[in-house]
Amino acid sequence: MSERMKNGAASEYALEIENLNVEYHVDKEVVHALNGISLKVKKGETIGLVGETGAGKTTTGLSILRLIPSPPGVVKGTIRVMGEDIGSLSEKQMEAIRGKLVSMIFQDPMTSLNPTKTVNDQIAEVIRLHDKIGKKEAAAKAGDMLEMVGIPRDRGVEFPHQFSGGMKQRVVIAMALACSPEILIADEPTTALDVTIQAQVLDMIRDLKKQYNMSMIMITHDLGIVAEICDTVAIVYAGSIVEYGTLEDIFNRTAHPYTVGLFGSLPNMDDRTQRLKPIQGLMPDPTNLPSGCPFSPRCPRATAECFAKKPELQNIGGEHLVACHLVKEG
Amino acid sequence: MAEALLEVKNVKKYFKTPKGMLHAVDDVTFSINKGETLGVVGESGCGKSTTGRVVLRLLEPTAGQILMEGQDIAKLSEGQMRSKRKEMQMIFQDPLASLDPRKTVGQIIEEPLKIHNIISSRAERQKRVLELMEIVGLAQRYYATYPHELDGGRRQRIGIARALSMNPKFIVCDEPVSALDISIQAQILNLLEDLQQEMGLTYMFITHDLSVVHHFSNNIAVMYLGKIIELASSDELFAHPTHPYTQALLSAIPVPKLENRRERIILKGEITSPINLPKACRFASRCLYATKQCFGEEPDLKEIAPGHQVACFLKDKPD
Repeated sequence: MSERMKNGAASEYALEIENLNVEYHVDKEVVHALNGISLKVKKGETIGLVGETGAGKTTTGLSILRLIPSPPGVVKGTIRVMGEDIGSLSEKQMEAIRGKLVSMIFQDPMTSLNPTKTVNDQIAEVIRLHDKIGKKEAAAKAGDMLEMVGIPRDRGVEFPHQFSGGMKQRVVIAMALACSPEILIADEPTTALDVTIQAQVLDMIRDLKKQYNMSMIMITHDLGIVAEICDTVAIVYAGSIVEYGTLEDIFNRTAHPYTVGLFGSLPNMDDRTQRLKPIQGLMPDPTNLPSGCPFSPRCPRATAECFAKKPELQNIGGEHLVACHLVKEG
Repeated sequence: MAEALLEVKNVKKYFKTPKGMLHAVDDVTFSINKGETLGVVGESGCGKSTTGRVVLRLLEPTAGQILMEGQDIAKLSEGQMRSKRKEMQMIFQDPLASLDPRKTVGQIIEEPLKIHNIISSRAERQKRVLELMEIVGLAQRYYATYPHELDGGRRQRIGIARALSMNPKFIVCDEPVSALDISIQAQILNLLEDLQQEMGLTYMFITHDLSVVHHFSNNIAVMYLGKIIELASSDELFAHPTHPYTQALLSAIPVPKLENRRERIILKGEITSPINLPKACRFASRCLYATKQCFGEEPDLKEIAPGHQVACFLKDKPD
């Protein structure tokens, strides 16, 4: 790891992604998973990546860790972590970044833990991988991490199967934070949890984020979680960002027809009799994307231009970006 | 006054485990009026799915009565129950796991018609299947496709068509939209609503998603560790949640709005084991207001306002 990355003085952004394209070449088909995504995350900021199954949210997260398997994956574009282009790093340098500068929490805590090791050993393993400290010291620090996520230290000798779902997710979070990363990628961290447990875990993530002054990428399909946790939001559809802005931009000045559709699909908590307004149709097949706007086949307002030409993201005021031919500046 | 289609009285379902009796459903009583929806909410392990299965007698109740239009179906013989089941259907959470992967869409929807020998002519059966596919919004071209070729929303439509093939009066919907994306979820919820209107269906709607249940149900039962702890109309429950657990549950919903945010009540701890329960309020160990009484006795459901029942000893807790 270079000096520049350690102190991260080179950039005000913890993460910069420029024109990221990810394709999977499978048999004779090409799956277009990401089609030119660009975004920047300031230090200490939380961005929400919102979209439905197959939109490319998780692929974006994995790209930042350079974990896209190749082949069949083909990754193009630039990703800078704390100012450093990770595309130019060797695999060994990359290993030093994973878990140290950038950590990721996955949706399903059951599959991210090793069933044959005690939780304390698993956390200590991450610490020893990155910091040159002794076994005893690492074990003690692992105990501290457990306490930080609200698990009594003496339960560290237990195995993952002895923990409930919420507790397992806490262990995964403790592990992800063990080396105080600069960037935390949280991929649907509470989707598998019950709502009261989700509230506990979200509360904890928010506190820890502040305490560590981390940047965070919150991957979710739940606009309620976005409203509580995020500073900025990127709405992802079929591998492209279709709308990007602050919380106020997205929630109060919703511009893209897809984002409008997402809000319309949610039950109205103030008036339960109001009928839902779903988006018609389905997400396009990523091996056969429409030639124009990816949302045009489902868009109630699509015109001839929308079917012919893919719209670019344009600024419609402040930092609010929208990729839609129908939305004009101002 | 609306007429009850289903009345469930003091139903229990216990399972024997090596550690002792597991009280999955412990003395629940509720009724559902014709053409209405009862939402059943609660967290993993609270017994909501077991209740749904017991009501259809897919699991045998340990005790209690299940009155369908006044007739206790818990007492029916197996043969009688089989024919009764035509009136009582179920829609499952995971459409892929509940559809036979080796059968085509047409064969899956046709199967109950064959089993119950409702339409014996093959051509007539096909006509009925195509009709059902149209009702649930499945294009005819999917007749000969297999479930794995379709997306989650369409698979769920197959499950709904299959349930409708028997012209049921009552459907238990067990988390029917939990596995679907938001935009598809709204399509399916609207479909279920339309079907209810057109066919006068009665639903028991089991879910953990509180905003969905609020939108979809006339009445809501909140379950905790095998018990109904609060039961009220949907609007009443959301306007005046009274049980401390209901209050915490509702406050925990992440609201997709920036204004008028509710103050969160963060519960301590997690759900306890339903095995060898002490004689106490089941929520007491996590309750913010629990008193000595709560740890020594078990509260019964009591009516606190017309149609609003709560099982809690506390009277002067904050609203």
